[in-house]
Amino acid sequence: MSQHYGPTWRHEVQQRELMAAMTGISVSLRQADYSLSEEQEAVQSSFGALLARASPIEKVRAAEPFGFDAELWEQLNEMRAIAMAVPEASGGDGADLVALCVVAEQIGRYLAPAPFVEAVSAARLLARAGSAAAAELEAVLSGRAMVTLALHPVTSAADQLVPAGAIADHVVALVDDQLVCAPRTEGWDRADNHGRTPLARLPAVAFENAKVIQSGEDARLTFAQGIAEWKLLTGAALIGIGEGANSIGVEYAKVRSAFGSPIGAFQAVSHQLVDAAMAVAAGRRLLFKAAWFAEHEAHAGRHLIPMAYLHAERASLLAATVAVHVLGGVGFTVDGDAQLFFRRAKGWSLVGGDPNREIHLIADLLFGPATR
Amino acid sequence: MNFATLDIDEATGALLSEAETFCDEFGEDAVEEEWETGSGFNERVHLEMGRRGWLVATWPKEEGGAGLTRFQASLLDMVLRARHIPLITKGTTDVVLGAVLKYGNDEIKAELLPRVAAGEIRFCLGYTEPDGGSDLAAARTRAVRDGEDWVIDGQKMFTTGAQNAHYAFLVTRTNPDVEKHKGLTTFLCSLEGAGISPVHTLGGERTNMVFFEGHRIPDRFRLGPVDAGWSVLAGSLDEEHAIGQVEVALERRGGMYGMVAAEAVELAIEWAHLSGPDGDRPIDDPFVRARLAEAALGVEVATASPGPMNRIASSDMAIAVSADLLDLVGPLGLLPHGQDGSVADGWLEYSHRFAQGTATYGGTVEVQRNLIAERFLGLPRSTPSSRNTNKVVG
Repeated sequence: MSQHYGPTWRHEVQQRELMAAMTGISVSLRQADYSLSEEQEAVQSSFGALLARASPIEKVRAAEPFGFDAELWEQLNEMRAIAMAVPEASGGDGADLVALCVVAEQIGRYLAPAPFVEAVSAARLLARAGSAAAAELEAVLSGRAMVTLALHPVTSAADQLVPAGAIADHVVALVDDQLVCAPRTEGWDRADNHGRTPLARLPAVAFENAKVIQSGEDARLTFAQGIAEWKLLTGAALIGIGEGANSIGVEYAKVRSAFGSPIGAFQAVSHQLVDAAMAVAAGRRLLFKAAWFAEHEAHAGRHLIPMAYLHAERASLLAATVAVHVLGGVGFTVDGDAQLFFRRAKGWSLVGGDPNREIHLIADLLFGPATR
Repeated sequence: MNFATLDIDEATGALLSEAETFCDEFGEDAVEEEWETGSGFNERVHLEMGRRGWLVATWPKEEGGAGLTRFQASLLDMVLRARHIPLITKGTTDVVLGAVLKYGNDEIKAELLPRVAAGEIRFCLGYTEPDGGSDLAAARTRAVRDGEDWVIDGQKMFTTGAQNAHYAFLVTRTNPDVEKHKGLTTFLCSLEGAGISPVHTLGGERTNMVFFEGHRIPDRFRLGPVDAGWSVLAGSLDEEHAIGQVEVALERRGGMYGMVAAEAVELAIEWAHLSGPDGDRPIDDPFVRARLAEAALGVEVATASPGPMNRIASSDMAIAVSADLLDLVGPLGLLPHGQDGSVADGWLEYSHRFAQGTATYGGTVEVQRNLIAERFLGLPRSTPSSRNTNKVVG
């Protein structure tokens, strides 16, 4: 990570002192406009409508346990869901990170059995690698190939669960200081899992003869950028999962009666739903704020990415846990929909590693590295 | 969507420089006095703000204001609060002013508004009673019509700023025979002759109990129709609950009640960079780093909380963060402002005490959760329906 701007809190204090010196102002002076633009709202409604139609709960269940619906994937590609994410200079539509997060939230909201987040993250990685990955990127843009990314640096010491590894044609990975693109081979077998996503468990040997698309410090930076974007997109999807789970809980609490009253009239129930709704609502705004900074002022908002991601994970887990519980015994059955959200809140995040470790990255970005 | 640094034009820059100079000149004394008295008001500051038109900043200069835009007024407020200028009585005056503008007759407006703008007249809120806090509709302070006047009998509690104010925005019961929400009337009630008894709080704020015994006020100080007090309040209460408020494109760090906690986080970060007795800096300790990072995350989440949720999130955060930060700095954190060796001049110690009150200001976080449940999630009402508690008991 660039040290150019130093620890964030010190940078902010310096900014304030600069401002104070120029104008005598001592407070942080940024606006806080969370509204979506017209284009972003159009993206939200068009993808929301598509997914409401093409990813109803019945299809989510039908795709279990593998977690991939080929027809839905084709429909997403027809809407250029992956192509939109690639910069225009590399042959895509150049959508910004905010718009991509808008789509990702809908993906989460409808539990879409389609690897939008990993495919977008990986496609953008390929674009950043330039001409070395041009052929692979072209195949992705034309819809002929699906690409994903390995979320952890490859090590011979352990296998790695790769999201969409069971269906992807290529995996982009970091092997030491080389960014590689590995084509699908034998042994990329599905590993059925808690989150109902098409994971594959890949050993280091899967990347042995992979094509090197970038080397050295560039490779490390590109990979780090890819992970940061994966966190933003996954965070947005988690917010969608949280929203969907909370809706289920709220609707049930309105109609389910016990002891002579709809259970939503009991504060012990309603307050849990409110707290989950609050965590999701704040999480949505924090996530989009982080995406805006990543798009427009990356140096000033780097700390917001792990913050938004960690909070989104917590919010979605809370909302899903509350939903399962508010639905009582029914919530605990597999026939109940709440458990679909519960599994994916954990599954879509934990594949990236223990989310609580983000706290160390947040500390490093805010305070600079520890000196001892 | 936009989080860019604000464009400050020359006029706004000059305004904010003037605000900083104002704080340099009057702030130190006001802040020290506030540590002593907790009164939420400094007369010199208030009158100097009045002189500059800052008490009604968006009003035209001819009416005693400063002709500022809402945006400029918000920035001015942010600067003053960042410098800890005591603004509680100014705040309650603002709330009541809204009701006076909407419901006051022309006579009292002409009589009072210029003096409010100048800072000579201040208002406080006469809502809560010893028997009823968040359940405002249960008010029992009686107002009985007698000729051209009303006679007030009763007691108000947590009437913050009564010692600085001339009038209280008083919620009274004018009809005990109807459903409780339908028998209330609001008045701008002169405090002259009322009994004011100080109440000191854990957070250091001074508030009051106010007693009315045969207290006579003219009918022209009634705000809104008789028995229509609940709808008059709805406008003001929504002001306090932050529902229906237009969001300006600015946000307070830490949210509505989280500014003190947000500042505490910065102070704790600064503290962590100081070497301890063993030559080690806490900021290099992974456990300290993780706790500070969690506190900073809490501030960001509270800041980002929308609408009426912000009030709850900011208060919950302030309570949790202030406790954790105080623990983090260790035993010296117990030393208050003014004591030799206190950490961050006693601001962390203060923030831990202050934060507790934020869960009840303007109605408790539980009441606010019910509001969100009913109005935003569409859940059924949780409070007993009015057919069961339509009369005030006792």
